Amino acid sequence: MQKIAPITKLALTIFVTIWSIVLQSLPALTALIVCQLILLVIAKVGSSIYKGIASLFVFAAILAGMQYAINNDIMLAAITASKMIAMTLVFFILLATTRMQDLSAALVLQCHIPYEYAFMLTAALRFIPDFLAESKAIQEAQACRGYSPQGNVLQRFFSYMAVIKPLVLKAVTKSETMALSLELRGFGSRKTRSFKNNVTLALQDYAMLLSMILFTSYLVIQIY
Amino acid sequence: MLELKNVYFSYKAQSHDIHDVSLRVNPGEFLAIVGRNGSGKTTLTRLMMTLKKPTKGELFFQGNSLANATPAKMAHHIGYVFQNPDRQIFHDTVAEEVAYGPKQIGCTPEQIQTFVTQALEVTGLSHLAATYPLSLSKGQKQRLTIASALAMQPKILILDEPTSGQDARERDQLLQLLLKLHQQGTTILLVTHDMEFLSSCAQRAIVMKKGQKVFDGTVAELFHDTNQLTDWGLIEPAALKISRQLASFQISQTTSITQLGNQIANLLRRNNDHAENSPHH
Amino acid sequence: MPAIALQNFSYAYNHPKKVLDNITISIEKGSFSVILGPSGAGKTTLCLAVAGAVPHYFGGSSAGKVYVAGIHTQESSMQQLALTVGTVLQDYETQLVTMTVEEEVAFSLENMGIVPEEITQRVEEVLAKVGLTGYEKQAVTDLSGGQKQRLVLASVLATNPKILVLDEPTSALDPEGTYSLYKLLSDLNQEHGITILVVEHDIATVLPYADQFILLENGQLILNGTPESVLSFMAKKQIFAEAIPPLWQLKLMIEELATRQFASWHTEEEAIIQLGKALDEEARKNA
Repeated sequence: MQKIAPITKLALTIFVTIWSIVLQSLPALTALIVCQLILLVIAKVGSSIYKGIASLFVFAAILAGMQYAINNDIMLAAITASKMIAMTLVFFILLATTRMQDLSAALVLQCHIPYEYAFMLTAALRFIPDFLAESKAIQEAQACRGYSPQGNVLQRFFSYMAVIKPLVLKAVTKSETMALSLELRGFGSRKTRSFKNNVTLALQDYAMLLSMILFTSYLVIQIY
Repeated sequence: MLELKNVYFSYKAQSHDIHDVSLRVNPGEFLAIVGRNGSGKTTLTRLMMTLKKPTKGELFFQGNSLANATPAKMAHHIGYVFQNPDRQIFHDTVAEEVAYGPKQIGCTPEQIQTFVTQALEVTGLSHLAATYPLSLSKGQKQRLTIASALAMQPKILILDEPTSGQDARERDQLLQLLLKLHQQGTTILLVTHDMEFLSSCAQRAIVMKKGQKVFDGTVAELFHDTNQLTDWGLIEPAALKISRQLASFQISQTTSITQLGNQIANLLRRNNDHAENSPHH
Repeated sequence: MPAIALQNFSYAYNHPKKVLDNITISIEKGSFSVILGPSGAGKTTLCLAVAGAVPHYFGGSSAGKVYVAGIHTQESSMQQLALTVGTVLQDYETQLVTMTVEEEVAFSLENMGIVPEEITQRVEEVLAKVGLTGYEKQAVTDLSGGQKQRLVLASVLATNPKILVLDEPTSALDPEGTYSLYKLLSDLNQEHGITILVVEHDIATVLPYADQFILLENGQLILNGTPESVLSFMAKKQIFAEAIPPLWQLKLMIEELATRQFASWHTEEEAIIQLGKALDEEARKNA
């Protein structure tokens, strides 16, 4: 899976999403989910991905339960939950098997998205863990000053300002510093930019793309 | 006052970030915890503040187990001064910022008023009470976080690497402030890399290495063995290193530059005077 | 031609509050220079002026000129200057923008449009230079503070800058980390002729390597010269004298009390040798 070009995986993501919407039968959706799980196994992804998938299944089950409670239609509930799993799984495949740098290279070189936008996408992912760590550090610092949110929603909201304000401020200064440091590293002179990694399509990519298109056409013809 | 009994802690399974540490913080002492980055110094103080719970072992404050304590409750007893003031400042004035802690722990308005005034005075921030906290200098921001902790009337003050990033002037002011607080009876626990700073204020030192306590004794004992200092990643104060190397000239060991300077100057001056005066005798 | 030259340079982020006031400094090629001064003296702004971020990025109003390797910064662009000046900011963690170590270094090179084959080779070289060989695939977030610092340095060195500017690079490091960072900078300075400009509070840590001190206070240049001349001046005039490292406090104290002069002290070892010699002579005179 890691050898497949990022653009092919992007296409896979889009196609799987279409299939999940188009397919209406539980066996077909189950087959789609199983195929995706096999792809993940082949790709030898880390255990953290499986943990994420496990919580996805739990979430889908809750969703199905809720829908069953409302509509009293077990088939509809199962189909909706399967659709959600099938659609979300493909993002797991994409993110677990593609390096962010390659994804942005593909977006720029093959989809002709301006580099700045593609970079923002990847940088945002890079800073999510930092942001969470910062939020935890602030909560701890305020806890040492007696901060412990309790009372009704409004009271909780106001006490939460003790965390929100420093966090927002930090996020702002951090993004300013990042913008400055990008300039200092010569970022933004787009004409001369290169990409270290090869993201061009190989034979297996064309094969995959072709079969995905054929399968989609078949589905569309079958339905209409 | 504060006691750790065979405490273990790990961030991830299998690793031992704190390994079987026992120690006692005595009332009124000035204690320093030193060691390399990643040796477990800060983790130890976080355990004391109950920001982390030990995976094994127990902590006691004034004889009571801290197994069910929370940081918000510990704030009554321990003031924790973090390295980065920007992670806690969020009010519009310095005085409001300092008042936050006492308000949270349920002090009366009169108490809050008194505690804030006292805390601002001792940290030398009274004239800045109405200032916007984020416009303060680095050193002032740090004193603000100390004032915020002091306003909750803690018995112990923990400071995590307070000298890092501070200029020499701010560092001197901090030293004077800590000495004053200690004199007034506050128990102080300092996490630091700064041996010159430590040797001018702390009485006792604990050395951490790879999550274990490898030394616990007086500051004089800490500097006793040079090889061990290197092994612990610590730097000998300049005066001590020089006085040790010049021991053969009857220079006694000291960590104070002034003492060492006087000793050497006396030896050189006495002989100078002697040489200058000799023709007259 | 000096590596860095400021000519009557003044700068204000918001007019009229001058952060730098009529500064004239010249830093020779291959120098290891240290900017000293209390907080708020304008040290960071001086670094940013050399990198071209002041005024290119921050705007504000300025007067006078800054030349970096002969280039007039205001007439150049930050991208152009990035080829000559490598900058490590105070908040260096935010300078790291990619997921893995090798991507981080490659990012700088991609920005310059270097061909992929060369990138691979340069990444390898520069990681070896900072001692991060073997960490290529490691996630940036898993690195220690000292390793992150080295990675930023590597990503900056990748473009072969002639000048390195570092703003308080050691504030998050322990004594060993500080020592090895300055040792590394000194090697780059000695072996590769890179001009180094660094802001540091703890003068003792740079004393063995520096050949020029620049003392600022309230945006003004107080003195610019050899470490010896600046430290003696600080003691004599009692300007920011708190910052004089213990070693030099001792030197200046003995020189004054015993009315004699010692050669310059860069390390404790040098001091011990000179003091030993002096004490030995005196003992012999006495005997």
